[in-house]
Amino acid sequence: MARSTTPAPELVLPQPVPAHKTGLVAWGRSVFRGAPVFSLCFLTLAVACAVCAPLLAPYDPIQTNRTQTLVPPSLSAHLLGTDHLGRDILSRLIYGARISVTVGFLAVFVSGTVGTLIAVVSGVVRGWADTVLMRLTDAFLALPFLMVAVLVVSLLGPSLVNVVLVIGLLRWMTYARTIRSEVLRLTEMDFVRLARAAGARRRRLIVQHILPNIVNTLLVLGTLEVGSAVITEASLSFLGLGVPRPLPSWGTMLAEAQTYVFTAWWLPVFPGIAITLLVMASNLIGDWLRDRLDPTRRQL
Amino acid sequence: MRGYIARRVLQGIVTIWLVTLGVFSVLRLTGDPVSYMLPPDASKEDRARLIALYGFNDPLWKQYVVFNNNLLHGRFGPSLRWDSRDALEVFLSRLPATLALTGAAMSFSIIVGIVLGAVAATRPDSLFDRVAKGAAILGQSMPVFWVGILLILLFTVYLEWLPSAGGLDRLGLKGLILPAFTLGCLFVAAHMRIVRSSMLDVLDADYIKMVRAKGMPRRTVIWKHALKNASIPIFTLFAVNFAQLISGAVVTETIFAWPGVGRLLVDSVFVRDYPVAQTVVFFAASFIIVINIVVDIAYAWLDPRVRIAG
Repeated sequence: MARSTTPAPELVLPQPVPAHKTGLVAWGRSVFRGAPVFSLCFLTLAVACAVCAPLLAPYDPIQTNRTQTLVPPSLSAHLLGTDHLGRDILSRLIYGARISVTVGFLAVFVSGTVGTLIAVVSGVVRGWADTVLMRLTDAFLALPFLMVAVLVVSLLGPSLVNVVLVIGLLRWMTYARTIRSEVLRLTEMDFVRLARAAGARRRRLIVQHILPNIVNTLLVLGTLEVGSAVITEASLSFLGLGVPRPLPSWGTMLAEAQTYVFTAWWLPVFPGIAITLLVMASNLIGDWLRDRLDPTRRQL
Repeated sequence: MRGYIARRVLQGIVTIWLVTLGVFSVLRLTGDPVSYMLPPDASKEDRARLIALYGFNDPLWKQYVVFNNNLLHGRFGPSLRWDSRDALEVFLSRLPATLALTGAAMSFSIIVGIVLGAVAATRPDSLFDRVAKGAAILGQSMPVFWVGILLILLFTVYLEWLPSAGGLDRLGLKGLILPAFTLGCLFVAAHMRIVRSSMLDVLDADYIKMVRAKGMPRRTVIWKHALKNASIPIFTLFAVNFAQLISGAVVTETIFAWPGVGRLLVDSVFVRDYPVAQTVVFFAASFIIVINIVVDIAYAWLDPRVRIAG
């Protein structure tokens, strides 16, 4: 008996979909596909520390204690040890998250706003406005960023607001350049041309058609920039030009630690880990968002 | 080509002019410059002398004209701290230390970056590649000054191999190792990543396949033929990184008490020596602009498409 060369078509029965592939869980999984879990957790932790510092910190971060100076880390009293004035390192780190997180997000907000404004005006108005704004962007890009920040903060006086403004107003060029090219691309696309042909005014064109389409880029750039804003704040504080003492900024803690590097290793180590983790979290989340939000790079 | 160079140089001059305008306005508009420069207990006569010396009682436009005229003639005003030596002279006396530091840091990061990037590209997804990638992510997240402190902790405090503070004249080359390594670390990661990705592209190119087909040993193909072309992006990256290099130098020089211009700036700012601070910022900005122009022109020379589009 000769076997049939073509196998009989198998009957495909509809399989019941397992519960974990529908509803909220599945949605959550699809949103967070490939997400840097550790980074998201650390960012959440840092924000939580910033918001609820008084609840989480075991000690007062500013109160000095002359009898408990330079205590090494131990499980009994001071988990991460104390500094040269007897202040608890862990508490100072928790309060320090306030400054880093605040400066990180606010500076990015300022620079993102300025950069987007310049990019949209440049890309929509074009002509002389474009030329002037792009030359201005070039001039800012040529600035030795940290040097100018040092000079300006020292003139304005070190304070949280000044640090945010200086970082924000010196770091908008990336946004201006990237978003401008995005705007130029968008204004050539059919839906924008149609809207214009249909009589849409410039204002409507920007609000309805251009802004919603640059949100993704803005989100990615902003996330990536949080890290460099955090580093800049820490550098300024390290140089003594950040948030004034005794407020515990991670950069200030490192600056103070420098004197005791020969006797107390825990002073320089822990604030540095905190800064590195926060910056790394922002970089990795930014990379992930870029892959996630760009359909051409998304792997389904 | 000539037109392109002229246009680019003109743009550079406009940019430098914008920077000087910025420096001028920052120093004049943020309040009374005299009170920044004088100690709080200065007498009325000292105040008047300083105002007359810098012409702060002139109208703003006249001050601006004088400021520009001084710049054109290379007069940056007397330093307030260094026995009234010319600010330019103070700056120039500190320049060699910074050039040595940045030069050593850049050479170190380029060599290490190229080697690591090339090795990673020849074995994609191997253990080495993954470790290198992880190290690069870590390296790009660590603040320069923390790297510096950790190195001091390791090499000066525990191993007692290297000194942690001083300049070339006091310690010689031994003193250069830690600062250059610290500053170089900032760029190793960036250089490694770019060499790795360009090396992967180059290894896929036809001329490499050709050389391989002719029976050239793998080692020669990679290190002789592919590496040359894969290293080019580093030099275009250099112009972009230059501003970051200067920022890094400010912090590195502060940690290691390196007598360069970055430390000079921080010191000047703290003693309110604004003529010197202004000179440092002006020259740093001008360096960045000039480097960018040179790289752009070199690019246009190598790639004719840039001339037309730019």
